[in-house]
Amino acid sequence: MFSEQAAPTAQGLLAPPSAEPPTFPRVPVSGYSDCSQPFQLGERSFSRQYAHIYAVRLAGMRPGLERRARSRWGTDISLRKLSELQAGEKCCVVGTLFKAMQLQPSILQEISEEHNLVPQPPLPKYIQPSDELILEDELQRIKLEGAIDVQRLVTGTILAVYGSEQDDGRFLVEDHCLADVPPPLPWNGPSSDRFVLLASGLGLGSVSGEALLSTQLLVDVVTGQLGAEGEQSCAAHITRVILAGNLLSQNTQSRDTINKAKYLTKKTQAASVEAVKMLDEILLQLCTSVPVDVMPGEFDPTNYTLPQQPLHRCMLPLASAYATLRLVTNPYQADLDGVRFLGTSGQNISDIFKYSSMDDYLEILEWTLLAGHISPTAPDTLGCYPFYKSDPFILTECPHVYFCGNAPRFQSKLLQGKEGQRVLLVTVPDFSATQTACLVNLRDLTCQPITFSGFGADSED
Amino acid sequence: MADELYLENIDEFVTDQNGVVTYKWLSYTLGVHVNQAKQMLYDYVERKRKENSGAQLHVTYLVAGNLLQNGHVCHKVAVVREDKLEAMKSKLSTIASVHVYSIQKALLKDSSPLYNTDYDIVKTNLQHCSKFSAIRCAAAVPRTPPDAPRAPASAQSPQRQRDPDAAGAVNGHGPSAAKPPPQQHKGIMGMFAAKAASKPQDTHKEAKAEAKEAPGVSAASSKPPTKNNIMNNFFGKAAMNKLKVNSVPEQPKEEKEVVKPSVAVAEPESSPNTVAQKPGKKTESARIQQKDKKSKTKRADRSDDEEERDPENVKKKRKRIKQLQSDSSDEEDVPPSPTPEEERAPSPPPVPALKTELEPASTEGSAGGRKRKRKRVLKSKMFIDEEEGCMGKTG
Repeated sequence: MFSEQAAPTAQGLLAPPSAEPPTFPRVPVSGYSDCSQPFQLGERSFSRQYAHIYAVRLAGMRPGLERRARSRWGTDISLRKLSELQAGEKCCVVGTLFKAMQLQPSILQEISEEHNLVPQPPLPKYIQPSDELILEDELQRIKLEGAIDVQRLVTGTILAVYGSEQDDGRFLVEDHCLADVPPPLPWNGPSSDRFVLLASGLGLGSVSGEALLSTQLLVDVVTGQLGAEGEQSCAAHITRVILAGNLLSQNTQSRDTINKAKYLTKKTQAASVEAVKMLDEILLQLCTSVPVDVMPGEFDPTNYTLPQQPLHRCMLPLASAYATLRLVTNPYQADLDGVRFLGTSGQNISDIFKYSSMDDYLEILEWTLLAGHISPTAPDTLGCYPFYKSDPFILTECPHVYFCGNAPRFQSKLLQGKEGQRVLLVTVPDFSATQTACLVNLRDLTCQPITFSGFGADSED
Repeated sequence: MADELYLENIDEFVTDQNGVVTYKWLSYTLGVHVNQAKQMLYDYVERKRKENSGAQLHVTYLVAGNLLQNGHVCHKVAVVREDKLEAMKSKLSTIASVHVYSIQKALLKDSSPLYNTDYDIVKTNLQHCSKFSAIRCAAAVPRTPPDAPRAPASAQSPQRQRDPDAAGAVNGHGPSAAKPPPQQHKGIMGMFAAKAASKPQDTHKEAKAEAKEAPGVSAASSKPPTKNNIMNNFFGKAAMNKLKVNSVPEQPKEEKEVVKPSVAVAEPESSPNTVAQKPGKKTESARIQQKDKKSKTKRADRSDDEEERDPENVKKKRKRIKQLQSDSSDEEDVPPSPTPEEERAPSPPPVPALKTELEPASTEGSAGGRKRKRKRVLKSKMFIDEEEGCMGKTG
């Protein structure tokens, strides 16, 4: 794909210098529009409770779910609220799911003195067989049992259940459905090969320098310094680079300055300062050659709650001098050359991973698309801004490329929806661990991983 | 010919300096297109190997191509040592590019020297890092300065135009590669420095104006310059020296002009307006006075004539004092100010004698002059503070 056209001239540079080496112009951006306004917060006020976000989420998704329920179980089914339930009557209820988990970290338990609990160490998964599902609507809640996979679902999902209320007060589920893939967007993609490079988890500032050469090789390929002429001309078709979070490594997050005595940390600099300087230089090299969108991630110097606001340009003085640098939010939505991209830096997927039996990041990514919501577990277990007017994480239209960053490995899948939707699902791997980035071809929605490596003392490559 | 020249260059770098020559390093050093650099390296290796001169050359190659991995076709880009080149090429199903990555004399254990060489050369050429690249991006233009908003820019631009030299001299900030932060620095510092430089001129202007206007108005107008004096302390000894130099010729000038009292009045009068700053200054000034003397003596040592200076100051103080005494002493802040100033025990021998005579009024008069010196000391105190901090660490 990327390199087939390059093959003929592969060995061309193993020769004495030729007269005029060609330079290739970067394919210009034909259409770009940033659609992440819902994720940009202006004035922020945290005085509201989180109940409002659940209320608007349910109100926003209820119509779509009712339509889905009717199309699935018949138009004559009765849609009831929980307060209208009658014992034994088969009906359909739309509500928010709550999963009661014993192992879920609770701050109240931690600080409670009567329990005398040592704070629970972070576990990879918090699920247990004894977890229970509860459906809540605007006024009441009811326990669910029956044909529903308790382990797989997570808190905050809006779903429709079909069944009947039992005498013991529980709801016996016969079938349930999620919101399904949102309505499709028209396709205006390019007719020639155009690539977008997706990379995440650069992890600058980490103690080990193994990934540094790979990062440099990545920059060199994109800016057209590396490779023979064929490869360079292919690289000129990379129209954009999206860095999906975790530009800084987790090591830069040390909180020594808070824990240690002042006299020990007086003249020490935060590790993130050096790392951000390195990031600035790398971004400068990229920005002089290609438009770059930088999304913040879990370990980046921005706010913790979703939606994460863009990094401030004062941290990147060299790179922000160029108009090709765009500092964007997490999640990020944009139209690139007529193709709608939507993606996050991976916090939403990894949070669902912790509270669900699903193990595969791609499976979880697909599941969030089917559930119609980017991050159902926010604000329960994932920090979120207390929205009250509308929930911006509800998926109202189906993107063409849906990605998540910082996944353990690269995976991609082209999903076909019932209404003609075509979505490319991509899990972008953590670059500092895998030295792999993704190249998405906008023409045919295919994705290819690109791996970089140097040589070590005992490597066999 | 240029052809042979590059061969000699590479030869020099590799054999004499025993360094790692990567294609990128060569490209920046010789100012050639990256592809030409790669070809030059290849050419050099070929010729050297033909010559069989005995010097061992180790070469690393870049190989890129398609690889079947985990069920999908992965594009692999790898830097390999020469001995592993064929192995890597055989692994790839399609080869997209092969070229020389670097030449060095020593056998490399791992690729970190390559990274280091590239990092260093890019760091020194950050401003034109895509100059020799094979891809040109038309959209990559620096943002025009108005796009990068700097709030103080508009406020201080008129002053900057007035005193660009003063700002440059005081700041010592040269224009640097990264534009926005140093310019902002320059802007903010320049604003204060410009105000500092313009302050003597301002006081001249205001002195003339005050002759006509009521003191109240002049107090208001003198407030900014006084404030600037307080804040100027934080900037550069150069600023202080400049102020000092300005104030010393100022004083003789003021002696000649009749507007002296208004100036002296203006400054103490302005302090009621800056009462908030005064108490803060007083607590510092108590300690400052001691250091004030120290710094004064220091400065006196720096300039040759210690005794000349003191009598001068004393004289000026005397003259000021007399004029202040003649005016009505209805400045409320003046009585409080003697208390910290009376603590200025360690003063040069001739001065205390005069001081005891003119104590209450001397403080008034010196309030104006002392104010300036107090400000100076405020700034030098900061230096001592920093020194103590450093000494505390080392000691």
